[in-house]
Amino acid sequence: MITKDVTLINKLGLHIRPAAQFTKIASQYAASVFLSKDGIRINAKSIMGVMMLAANRGAVLKIECDGPDEQELMDKLVELIENKFYED
Amino acid sequence: MDKIQVGIFFQDTQSHLKIRLANSPKGLVRDIPNKDIHRPGLALAGFLELFTYDRIQVLGNTEIRYLRSLSDFARKESLQKFFQFEIPCIIVSNSNEMPPELPAMADESGVAIFSTPFSTTELTHLLSDYLDHKFAPSQIVHASLVDVYGTGLLFTGRSGIGKSEIALDLVERGHRLVSDDVVTLTRTADNVLIGHGSELLKHFMEIRGVGIIDVGRMFGVRAIRQQKRVETEVELVDWSDEQDYERTGLDEHTKEYLGVTIPHVQLPIFPGKNITVIVETIALNLHLKVYGYHPAKEFGRALSDSMKTRTQLESYLEKDFE
Repeated sequence: MITKDVTLINKLGLHIRPAAQFTKIASQYAASVFLSKDGIRINAKSIMGVMMLAANRGAVLKIECDGPDEQELMDKLVELIENKFYED
Repeated sequence: MDKIQVGIFFQDTQSHLKIRLANSPKGLVRDIPNKDIHRPGLALAGFLELFTYDRIQVLGNTEIRYLRSLSDFARKESLQKFFQFEIPCIIVSNSNEMPPELPAMADESGVAIFSTPFSTTELTHLLSDYLDHKFAPSQIVHASLVDVYGTGLLFTGRSGIGKSEIALDLVERGHRLVSDDVVTLTRTADNVLIGHGSELLKHFMEIRGVGIIDVGRMFGVRAIRQQKRVETEVELVDWSDEQDYERTGLDEHTKEYLGVTIPHVQLPIFPGKNITVIVETIALNLHLKVYGYHPAKEFGRALSDSMKTRTQLESYLEKDFE
């Protein structure tokens, strides 16, 4: 299992569209993904779960990936967050 | 949760405990680290060994009467010793009038002091209820919780297997949705597992291909509920020819959440299979078992009876020489 802390830098944080993009990528991989913020840990393949975090700009998220393709998935997710979800 | 901020506690309980803040809001930033309550009569009288200072301190008639009976000097001394400890907050019951030093000295030590019209016994009951609930161990699971014929069924399984679709189908048939996709489980003091949704997600749900829908708005108040005891887990799994599925119902499988054991059913699914009806059957079957009727065992008994009768008859006929 690999973990990484990432800070949200896009304007809207994990709003509907960013959350959808996040879960879309997460669902394409076999590895399991969990996201945690403030002690709440959810399955990142569930869009409702991701939105429940209500993570806004500046929030620090902990990503945990576990499975055969964990590194590739982690890279993709971090890339998405660092590129501000390609939106703003 | 392992602690609650006094300010949050005040916000949550203000109306039903009828508490009001009797000094400055300075003490609201402190944390309550313990779910127990303490009446500090002995501590005020000077016996400070084993003083459980890290609990909410409730001052009832006795404590206030005692403080009032002291001389000004002795009262100050008693309170000084009392406030040396890191007390989360104080509640005075019966709307007792406080000696003037009490709120002032609490203020100096940064301790919030509240007053309530409830008697100490009433206050203790209400307070314990609230604290038990807040300090109950909890866990978030990726699942959907639906009340089916009064039975709380927790649907689990890999994402995309169709938990939300089954929940929606059940709602269509008159059952009630507690939460979809994210369920928070808590364990109550008497070892009951309770599941509820989140404040934010309420009864919103994601249906693949459609998007986000609001079940409460679509189906009305009959289709939703806020929380439900979790009675059985139904794990949805992809059908596999190699896997052995339960055929008789004689072996009961269980799963544990927060130390509470609940029955666990593994349900293989494939397109075209009517899961909803099976799920309703699971709920009704559970009802029968609760009422003492176990269909698999009952059938087993009937089968043995029939075998016995047949053997008796056969041996009778065998020896029936004429």
